[in-house]
Amino acid sequence: MSLHLLLVEDDATYAHGLAADLIGLGHRVEHVFDGRLALAAIDREQYDAVILDRMMPRLDGLSVVEMLRASGITVPIVMLTALSMASDKVDGLEAGADDYVVKPVDPHELIARVQAVIRGRRWTASESDTIRAGDIVVSPTSFRAWRAGQPITLANLELKLLAELARHAGEVLTRAMLIERVWGYDFEPETNIVDVYIRRLRMKLTEQGGADPIETVRGIGYSLKP
Amino acid sequence: MIGAAIRRLSLRGLTVGVLALFLIATVATGISILTANRVTVARAVDRRIAVVADLVLERDAGETRLPTPLLLTRIAALSGQRDTGDIGLLLLGADNQRLGGNIAPRFTLPMGWSDLRRRDGIIGLSHGRALVRDAGEGRRLAVVAETEPFDSYRAARTRIYLIGFGSIILIVIGGVVAFSMLVGRRIGDQRATVEAIIAGDIRHRVPVSGSDDEFDRQAAAFNRMLDRIAELMEAMRGQSNDIAHDLRTPLSRLRGQLAHMVADARDPVQAERASAALAQCDALLAMFAALLRIAEIETRQRQAGFARFDLSTLVRDTASMMIPVAEDAGRRLGVDVNIVVPDFTGDRQLLPQALVNLIGNAIKYGGDTITVSLDASEEGVSLHVVDNGPGIAPEDRSQALRRFGRLDTAREAVGGHGLGLPLVEAIARLHRGRLTLGDAAPGLVVSLILPRR
Repeated sequence: MSLHLLLVEDDATYAHGLAADLIGLGHRVEHVFDGRLALAAIDREQYDAVILDRMMPRLDGLSVVEMLRASGITVPIVMLTALSMASDKVDGLEAGADDYVVKPVDPHELIARVQAVIRGRRWTASESDTIRAGDIVVSPTSFRAWRAGQPITLANLELKLLAELARHAGEVLTRAMLIERVWGYDFEPETNIVDVYIRRLRMKLTEQGGADPIETVRGIGYSLKP
Repeated sequence: MIGAAIRRLSLRGLTVGVLALFLIATVATGISILTANRVTVARAVDRRIAVVADLVLERDAGETRLPTPLLLTRIAALSGQRDTGDIGLLLLGADNQRLGGNIAPRFTLPMGWSDLRRRDGIIGLSHGRALVRDAGEGRRLAVVAETEPFDSYRAARTRIYLIGFGSIILIVIGGVVAFSMLVGRRIGDQRATVEAIIAGDIRHRVPVSGSDDEFDRQAAAFNRMLDRIAELMEAMRGQSNDIAHDLRTPLSRLRGQLAHMVADARDPVQAERASAALAQCDALLAMFAALLRIAEIETRQRQAGFARFDLSTLVRDTASMMIPVAEDAGRRLGVDVNIVVPDFTGDRQLLPQALVNLIGNAIKYGGDTITVSLDASEEGVSLHVVDNGPGIAPEDRSQALRRFGRLDTAREAVGGHGLGLPLVEAIARLHRGRLTLGDAAPGLVVSLILPRR
């Protein structure tokens, strides 16, 4: 899915590199240098998502988000910032941003997050509890999972991991995203926790035959086949 | 030396001491007044008795003897006068028989001065003085006078003393206790503020009563100091934000360009060089992230987000989560949670980070067996991560806790930015605890000691 993105970033070199990367991944990217230009651009055009730097001259990112939300504009916003404190993140999310990513970010990771936000918008709470992806069915509330109708015994964390992958089947979930959403950590462990758990999940999913449903996207993360 | 002793005195000690001294002084004053009073009265009474005795035994010039009738007449005359009517007089003969007078004591009064009590049986006399003088020819004259102006004078005096001194004592005790409570409360207000600030809430201020007294002025000065500290902290935070921004942005730029170089490399040698540079850039970013995380923890802002949770469950869950990671690296990880800590107050993100970090270290640098245990300790709880690896020599342990204090030797080969243990130590300090390294013989035991609140 090609996305129409607005990149708001005052550092020209970084912005050009990131824009080129995103374009290279097949998206349309428009770049503006500060908050006021961003407001004008959003007023003029329809974007699928906005990637917004936080510390900028003239109008900073937080104010941009607040102003947009105050005027009822719901465009998905991912804040991209150099400030990494927990309180900074809370500030960003409270202002109305959908996600908060610390610089530097791999373009794949950034796109994965943008797509997750966009998809999250379409996701409705009324959807049934069970999640389906290919021949996999997960029921997070009853802590059970099946593959091709056969029950699979999973530990709690493995089930949460599978549910998250199934919920976003077909999309790439990065290690950072998984650590954040499945483990609930606000830090990135130095150990390869995600890889170990994916490996175990894979083993359990393929124990009774069938192809490996989890795809490794090298250097970025994992994706469950839809 | 006395100065030092006074400085060591507690408020309570000072209060008790002052009250004790005051009580001693009051009682001593009471006793002194009582004694002086009695002595003065006795002296005056004695003078009166002596004068009356002289009047009875007065001889006219040339007179050699005093006939008994003359003495009795004099006694009767004195007894009848208004100013001497209260004085008891008794004339005894040589054989002790009563010759006359207005009193009849139950026993023989001794010669000279003596004290009299109620039991001495002189009607209407409870306390008094007696003088027995030789009246010539074997006769004796006894003169008796009361030392108390009315009956039960002593009881009345005691009552007056009790009421008077008692109310003084009560007022002083009440005053001193109220004063010490007031001082204690105002100091307590300051302490509560200091405690709140230690707990991470720099916005707390000492309440000012508005009376502009010494305490108010002290509180105001204290609050001004806190305002200044808050300003400095805010400035520091702004500075660390600037550093984060100014350093992370160029690093991000660099990383982007290196990633492009890796992607665009035509020959494998170039690709490898670019990859190595990219890896170093990532290591630099990780180190930077760890530094900023430590800085974040050290601002103590996170204490505002402290929550109450079950520490035993958190430790058990986090350590169990790491079992597959340890197994993946060929290590065995045992979890041994021996106590229940249902009401620990702390940071739900940082404590798992500390534990994941310590277990990660044990996997990287330790032996084949790792044990995580949670025990009760004197200070609260201790979380131990024990491995049976090479350990760290006692002389190197402080180095290991220092920032960038990575131990060269085997650890260098495994990589890491040397901020792992300092980060855990910062987390321990945030929780008012500490981190210690010890010998597991063989191996290393890392202990996170956390006080319970």
